[in-house]
Amino acid sequence: MPGHKKCPTDGRSPQFSDEEVQNILTKITGLDLQKAFRPVKQELKPPTYRLMTDAQLAQATQKAIQIAKERLKMPPVLPERKPIDDVLAEDKFLEGLETVKYVFTDITYNIPHRERFIVIREPGGTLRKATWEERDRMVQLYFPREGRRLTPPPVFKEENLMVVFLQDRHEDILDLCLVQFEPDSPDYRRVHKLTYEDIDKHGKYDLLRSTRHFGGMVWYLVNGKKIDGLLIDMIQRDLIQDTASVIHLYHMLHPRGSSAKEAGEQQAQGIDLVKIFTRTESQKAGYVELALQAYQETSTERSAQSSSP
Amino acid sequence: MATPMQTMIRRLRVSNLILSAWQGTHQAKRPVRLLAAPVSRSFCTVPDQPAFDSISRYRERPWEYLESEEYIEKYGSQTVWADYRRNHKGGIPPQKTRKTCIRGDKISGNPCPVCRDPKIQVDYRNVKLLEQFISTHSGVIHDPTRTGVCMKQHKNLTRAIDTARDHGLLPFRVPFVEFKMEDYSNSHGAVTKTPPPSEAGQARPWYSWYQWNQPPEKEIAKVRQVYHKYLKEEEPVAGQ
Repeated sequence: MPGHKKCPTDGRSPQFSDEEVQNILTKITGLDLQKAFRPVKQELKPPTYRLMTDAQLAQATQKAIQIAKERLKMPPVLPERKPIDDVLAEDKFLEGLETVKYVFTDITYNIPHRERFIVIREPGGTLRKATWEERDRMVQLYFPREGRRLTPPPVFKEENLMVVFLQDRHEDILDLCLVQFEPDSPDYRRVHKLTYEDIDKHGKYDLLRSTRHFGGMVWYLVNGKKIDGLLIDMIQRDLIQDTASVIHLYHMLHPRGSSAKEAGEQQAQGIDLVKIFTRTESQKAGYVELALQAYQETSTERSAQSSSP
Repeated sequence: MATPMQTMIRRLRVSNLILSAWQGTHQAKRPVRLLAAPVSRSFCTVPDQPAFDSISRYRERPWEYLESEEYIEKYGSQTVWADYRRNHKGGIPPQKTRKTCIRGDKISGNPCPVCRDPKIQVDYRNVKLLEQFISTHSGVIHDPTRTGVCMKQHKNLTRAIDTARDHGLLPFRVPFVEFKMEDYSNSHGAVTKTPPPSEAGQARPWYSWYQWNQPPEKEIAKVRQVYHKYLKEEEPVAGQ
């Protein structure tokens, strides 16, 4: 259900749209202004220069942060939509009159697309509600959305997706997918799943780090219990707070696991959470421990350097 | 006494000799790739290689030609259009290049960079060739006045580049489209199973919109405001 909800006390597992989950995911996603406003290939114009005081610069930075936050709003993660098969009438006397199907679409302007009636009269005489694919096509025909094509481009096929992943263009393909498909359609879920699996396989988490898709990826990995690679990557980049948040989310989603119980007993915080998780439920425990060791060595070196004058 | 036929034949033989001699002296000076030959003959340096085979091979796998020695010898690391110069009157070239270089079997003089080398196949799969026609800084396809290709080949290139971008072979800038949240509950009657009509004495209508629904006050106020001149003076609070 859309809308913000507090962490539920009625025993239901937390959803993507819960306030606490969203807070954790936005914190992990971070906000890298250099990445959000990086130069892109476009029509070249001569550059503009502006002389600003420090206060104006701070104001401009604040404005840029606001715009970046708008751009980093996460698209929803929804369960797959149930197929529509509903026959309204079976009129056998119409059989053989027509050779084609007729699609009747209600094109009233002010109604949401999911409340639009789209029915199909088949040559055999049955009047049925249109399936989701037919609905999407008809709605795109009469109310075209910017960037969405009538037939999905061939880039979303398996073999072409592999080529795109080799070029490290995961963010682009996820943006295209968001524009082309509805969030609860099977195609959307399939493309996202393939992208997340590829990122997890090659450890390319940083590609999505300051984009609107990072939250969705973390949600998918936590639900699938595949957070080891992500944890290793975060430890190597010295993001221990983020690792703690990820494991906190993991405990929220799998409260009956051994890791959650032990953490609850010991009331662990920060790096101790990571250690408990590595001991109990991790799949790549060895690698995570190695990374933790390396991190601790570097942190002791740094503290020794900073303490000695 | 020679017959007129014999003299003609002798003259033809002599003229052929002269022609071959002239060609022999001049061919060494003209570079091979500017020979205007019909499409079916290739520019192979090896004379006994069958011409038809290489072109059909490159039709199936067009990217192989760009890796071959022949290509590197001809173009090096430049683009295929780098050393081409259009022939036109005056300082400013016409804004459109010629319509096509090859009409039927004939090739025009000074053919464009794509038409002069029949082994270059414009296909959506040979990304290296297509990239040569896209600007590295702005991602925009070069104008035909800049590259020198004929309009027909420019259209082919544009189509191939679009197909390559559709298949994900060429990177391009994906425009940022803001995502608008809709109501994804899917609970409306249009997308769910039709509930059976209630038999309980027709107390409840089948769908909620079958009975009169009072529209919201805002809509009523809007309509009143539009037709305020025509409203009858029945209610004392009629909008004016």
